[in-house]
Amino acid sequence: MAAPDIVRVDQVSKRFVLHKDRSIKERILNFSSNRTHREDFWALRDISLTIESGTTVGLIGHNGSGKSTLLKIIGGIIDPTSGVVSRRGRLAALLELGAGFHPDLTGRENVYLNAAILGLSQRETRGYFDEIVDFSGIEGFIDSPVKFYSSGMYVRLGFAVAVHVDPDLLLIDEVLAVGDEPFQAKCMDKIAEFQNDGRTIVFVSHSAEQVARICKRVVVLNHGSLVYDGATSEGVKVLREGFGM
Amino acid sequence: MTRAASAASRDRSQRIAAMPMEVTGRPRFLAGTLPSIADIWRRRELLGLLVRRELRARYKNSSLGILWSLIKPLAQLLIYYFAIGQILGAARLIPSFAIFVFIGLTTWTLFTEMVTNSTVSIVNNGGLIKKVGLPREIFPLAAVGGALVNLGIQFVVLLGAMLVVGEFPVTWRVLWLVPSLVLLVVFGAAIGILLSAVNVYLRDFEHLIEVVLIVLFWASPIVYSFSFVESLDLGWVRELYLANPVTLAVLGMQKALWVAGAGNLANWPQGLGVRMLVALLLSTLFLWLAHRIFGRLQGNFAQEL
Repeated sequence: MAAPDIVRVDQVSKRFVLHKDRSIKERILNFSSNRTHREDFWALRDISLTIESGTTVGLIGHNGSGKSTLLKIIGGIIDPTSGVVSRRGRLAALLELGAGFHPDLTGRENVYLNAAILGLSQRETRGYFDEIVDFSGIEGFIDSPVKFYSSGMYVRLGFAVAVHVDPDLLLIDEVLAVGDEPFQAKCMDKIAEFQNDGRTIVFVSHSAEQVARICKRVVVLNHGSLVYDGATSEGVKVLREGFGM
Repeated sequence: MTRAASAASRDRSQRIAAMPMEVTGRPRFLAGTLPSIADIWRRRELLGLLVRRELRARYKNSSLGILWSLIKPLAQLLIYYFAIGQILGAARLIPSFAIFVFIGLTTWTLFTEMVTNSTVSIVNNGGLIKKVGLPREIFPLAAVGGALVNLGIQFVVLLGAMLVVGEFPVTWRVLWLVPSLVLLVVFGAAIGILLSAVNVYLRDFEHLIEVVLIVLFWASPIVYSFSFVESLDLGWVRELYLANPVTLAVLGMQKALWVAGAGNLANWPQGLGVRMLVALLLSTLFLWLAHRIFGRLQGNFAQEL
């Protein structure tokens, strides 16, 4: 049986308008010259791609190529200016580990809050709780406020929650660049396990090496346009050689 | 790949194949209401957790904790009781002046908390909104929920005070509480949802609304009774005064809880129930419109924050 599509991106473009004035006063003063105070910037132009369930796709490109924007549009965090994104299945976006942690609340409270933000019910979270704490490796600190955590502990707890959400589609943005060596190894193991489970992973990275290790397919973006979509080794070569220009 | 893993993988792909594709984002103006209500309903547990987070985090490092949410209205009560009640002499004309003022103040506090906390809710949760796909209406709604919890705490004190002075409302008029609170919450949520979205683009609103609220405080019968308004013969200004949903809610709350004033019918306008019903219908329409505008504006939240 052919794998079903899990994400379809159809002719998506995204325009950012850069406002240079922020307050009512500035807007009124500059009303007549409003146009000159706007600057358009196309972060993505006419991107179409389809991702089949169970595959791992790397999004690569230089800074400002629009790869994070594309990931956010797939995740529904930003609406596209034109074009349509459709997807199905449970989504977890690891754009920032521990996003939504409240510094004054304890690790335990934050686990419940963060899991709810990512879409787990309280009952499910209770079921996974020990596993989450175990994976994060911070048992001794779970009842202290997270503001006392080191940045490594913070990230580990965030990752532990995110991977227990049981996603069908996992979006990862550079987050694996943080944490120490053993933690990174643990992340890679988890990703391999996810691939085995048939979960779909869309992965943004600067590291061609990391992408080559886990993705069979890459999408190369340059200044908002899709320049290559296909086998990883070829894509990395395209990126390195500066798009044959 | 082990056989068990590939079975799990096959199950998953079969399950996904059976699901319909859903378009992300909500670009349509009219058709978006029901899906987003369903969306919010699905995340109601999160809403509860956010309300708790808001309350716990606010008082976490203070030794008096949640008591602070009482101290502010009690201080206001003292000020108004002495300055307006005793010094300016309103207490001579309004029976049980302290209870009267406290009823108005708790109602007013509910409204201001809903509006001011919702207005900043999207901006304050920017970190989350930029990183996680959520129905964003949850943040202003959590602010409304937090304000309702505070109201509950103040109510305990109010009921205690009424027991002490022996003016506990044991009449059917207590039922006026329901339409009053519903009206106030619908109206406050509508303003809160609208301003939370607008404030992302124009941060002036969080300051503007504070000033507007200071002025509006005097446009509801909180520290003076409605009989003062009636005695002024204001003409069309009176109608404008009574068109304010907050004023109607305050009047309704006084009708429900202010036992000592019940004898004097001049304390309430004619046809309060009809006015409240009309205000409720209009506020519901306003809430719907605010939500649609919110839906329109929220597509760009992540990049504007």
